[in-house]
Amino acid sequence: MTGYLFHTPEDRREMLAAIGAASIGEILDAQIPADVRFQRQLDLPKGLDEIGLERLMRDLAAENVSAASHLCFLGGGAYDHFIPAVVDEIASRGEYYTSYTPYQAEASQGNLQVMFEYETLITQLTGLGVSNASLYDGGSAMVEAVLMALAADSSRRRVVTTRTVHPHYRQTLDTYLCNLDAEAIVVEPAADGSAGPIIDQIDSQTACVVIQHPNFFGRLEDVRAICDAAHRVGALAIQVFDPISLGLLKRPGDLGADIAIAEGQCLGSPLQMGGPYLGILACREELVRRLPGRLAGQTTDRRGNRCWVLTLQTREQHIRRAKATSNICSNQSLLALRATIYLSLLGPQGLRETAEHCVRKTRYLRDRIDQHDRLSCVHAGPVFKEFVVRDSRGDVEGLLGQALGQGVLAGVPLAPWYPEMEDCFLVAVTEKRSREDIDRWLESVGGDAADAAPTQGRSVAAV
Amino acid sequence: MRNQQATKLIFELSRPGRRAAVLDPPDLPVPEASDCLPAEHLADGPPPLPELAEGDVVRHFVNLSTQNMSVDTHFYPLGSCTMKYNPKRNERLASLPGFAAVHPLQDEATTQGWLRVLYELQQMLGEISGLPGVSLQPAAGAHGELTALMVAAAHFRQRGEARDIVLTADSAHGTNPASAAMVGYETRTVVSGPDGLVDVDDLRAKLDDRVAVFMLTNPNTLGLFDSRIREITSMVHDRGGLIYLDGANMNAILGIVRPGDFGADLMHYNPHKTFSGPHGGGGPGAGPICVREDLARFLPRPIVRRDGDRYFWDEEGEDSIGRVRSFFGNQGILLRAFAYLRTYGGDGLRQVSEDAVLGANYLLSRVRHILDVPHGERCMHEFVATAARLKKERGLSAMDLAKRILDFGFHAPTVYFPLVVEEAVMIEPTETESKETLDAFAEALFRVTEEAVDLVKDAPHTTRISRPDDVAASRRPVIRWTP
Repeated sequence: MTGYLFHTPEDRREMLAAIGAASIGEILDAQIPADVRFQRQLDLPKGLDEIGLERLMRDLAAENVSAASHLCFLGGGAYDHFIPAVVDEIASRGEYYTSYTPYQAEASQGNLQVMFEYETLITQLTGLGVSNASLYDGGSAMVEAVLMALAADSSRRRVVTTRTVHPHYRQTLDTYLCNLDAEAIVVEPAADGSAGPIIDQIDSQTACVVIQHPNFFGRLEDVRAICDAAHRVGALAIQVFDPISLGLLKRPGDLGADIAIAEGQCLGSPLQMGGPYLGILACREELVRRLPGRLAGQTTDRRGNRCWVLTLQTREQHIRRAKATSNICSNQSLLALRATIYLSLLGPQGLRETAEHCVRKTRYLRDRIDQHDRLSCVHAGPVFKEFVVRDSRGDVEGLLGQALGQGVLAGVPLAPWYPEMEDCFLVAVTEKRSREDIDRWLESVGGDAADAAPTQGRSVAAV
Repeated sequence: MRNQQATKLIFELSRPGRRAAVLDPPDLPVPEASDCLPAEHLADGPPPLPELAEGDVVRHFVNLSTQNMSVDTHFYPLGSCTMKYNPKRNERLASLPGFAAVHPLQDEATTQGWLRVLYELQQMLGEISGLPGVSLQPAAGAHGELTALMVAAAHFRQRGEARDIVLTADSAHGTNPASAAMVGYETRTVVSGPDGLVDVDDLRAKLDDRVAVFMLTNPNTLGLFDSRIREITSMVHDRGGLIYLDGANMNAILGIVRPGDFGADLMHYNPHKTFSGPHGGGGPGAGPICVREDLARFLPRPIVRRDGDRYFWDEEGEDSIGRVRSFFGNQGILLRAFAYLRTYGGDGLRQVSEDAVLGANYLLSRVRHILDVPHGERCMHEFVATAARLKKERGLSAMDLAKRILDFGFHAPTVYFPLVVEEAVMIEPTETESKETLDAFAEALFRVTEEAVDLVKDAPHTTRISRPDDVAASRRPVIRWTP
């Protein structure tokens, strides 16, 4: 027998004797009717010892291309940002990853304090008064934010959003709204990126407006104008943000957002094929009683020591059952821990530098593409760390395949979500990419980086 | 000797100008970042995050970790949560760059190893449950409940049946009614009989053509397998309803009973419980669901499929409810579940459940002499004792026991759940604990019940803090640090 069992044959005999049963079969037969018992053995592959398992899994891992084997310029909501060694080292401590929800505060002060620190960091990051202890991921966090808005005023059943919000998030919203008496209006964005078309759709039936800034295409939205328009009719404004961008950009709370949500994978969590990730949700203090999910708060113990507990639990399913603010039970503690360590390491300056690297490296690649004979940047305006590239020959698949052959994950095709963009793909440049990496991107797609490169030295041309 | 500074907050350790991560400026022929972006979008400065040195950060979080109890350090018999050993080999394997550094939007030709893991996991979960339609997308058990109820809603919508009620057991997890509410269902509660099982007469009384789904947990939260399960599922099926199985207690029945065989139509797994997770301090988990063949067309997309030697994401499906999250699922947890299942194989899994049942019954045989156990001479993987008599006779509550047991170096059992047992003490030892540990726990529990009342009421005594004031925390919420 491989695995992690304890009992020796002698243990089993003694335990059965203490129970007063002749066999485990007798214990099961006493409880489970014979007609529902499973009569054969499960048809699963045979068990493996540790060496066998390691061999199998390493072979499977070797079949995958990764951001470790290739240069990764993929984005679309998941990014190859740098993860400092301290994050992995701490998060791999068994005291963190083998513990559970802090039901007994005295036995969980480590986790509870981390939750409190995480919540505080997210309020500092977003400029909003309250953060929960995390949700599943960006997509479901956006839905939870919308559900908060719908619950805030049951007479308002419309959600206004735009096609520049992550397509997965919008699809998730559609799935949830399908069974509730509410609808999402998805606005076609203006070609120049202005807020007009969104603002035009906001009316007295609007529960909330949901925008993403920087948006799915990396562009900057006029968040303040949209928030103002929402507030004029009594609707809530929800902003999907990129945590890294806040090293430079104004914070959601400062722009007028009532609720801010984000995918927190960029804060120290690995790509791992799309999950588990970290759903960040922060809101204005007035909305705290509608907040979904766990919340850690400060209090004192019987000796007067400062300490931390789960609090405002009357919002939650284990107390309120069908009347809870959400069905959510767990949070993503381990990933929230990673984000807490990550932000502690970066601090204000480190976050700013990371954001600056993203912006400048993205700018460098865009400048090169502007001189490219086959490729072009679709949007002229400013972007943060991501942008849309058009292939004038319309062969996105061939181009990305060619880059892959040269060790570069060059971009994400947009056709699956935006049929009109079948000749386009999304490119993201994080702080991890060096100038040489970016030049290799250009080489891999058949650009003439050497010809296109300007003379050395820093250009200071204004935008 | 405990580090006395360990409880300071990172914000209190902060000093202006102190740094950990530093990025050298890039050598690029482009403007400064602040000149690449319009001024109206720029903040006056970066957010007011704490400023720390790398050594500060490490010492702080390492010291904090020592204030947690965990499976790696303590027996953790938290009922309903299946706190079993988390294999280290799975952690190392999940961190291989070939898994951990794969971007979710890569071309599927570049992720064949990953897709094979997920495909084979779908197959294995289908076999274990007896329900062949599998979606790996839900992020947690509660999310799986929600997703499955959406599948049920789509099923009834397609049949043109306006069913608007979900039945839940009074012993159910709170997530059951909460999930039902999020799909727009009204909830009715089916009571338990004196035997702790579903009261079939009450079910019959509440069952009508408005009932879409009966959500049940079997073995239930009392650790009892419902001997009338066939009758119950047939009753619901006869009225056109569906049976949802909350799979939180799958650790009791792997290879022994299959939900699909006793009449469940939909279910979720908690891989962080049953398949060794880990629990991550409260997450991430995962909540894959399995459904009957004819309900599979409603499952979220994408689903991993195989075409010869090639694995691919199947995004098609006009009956699909759509997606329930971004990207595909909590793959990192699912990968560990895959490694766990590959370690045990079919007969090994059955042994897991048999040992879980053996351990629980052994502990039950000892605890029964210490506390009343209202339901059952026998149990499956867990049992629920009650401190009601202790409270009446000595004034000691289930919470008092839970707090005092911490002093003996054991995590507390789940208390006050399920709601159907007064002063409930819910104990789940799992298969990865030795007889010696179970003996020591029973011994400690016995001693607690005999100790001086004041000593127990003031417990715990050995933890850094004791009996935090929850009421004050709720009445005057302090949920972020302020200078």
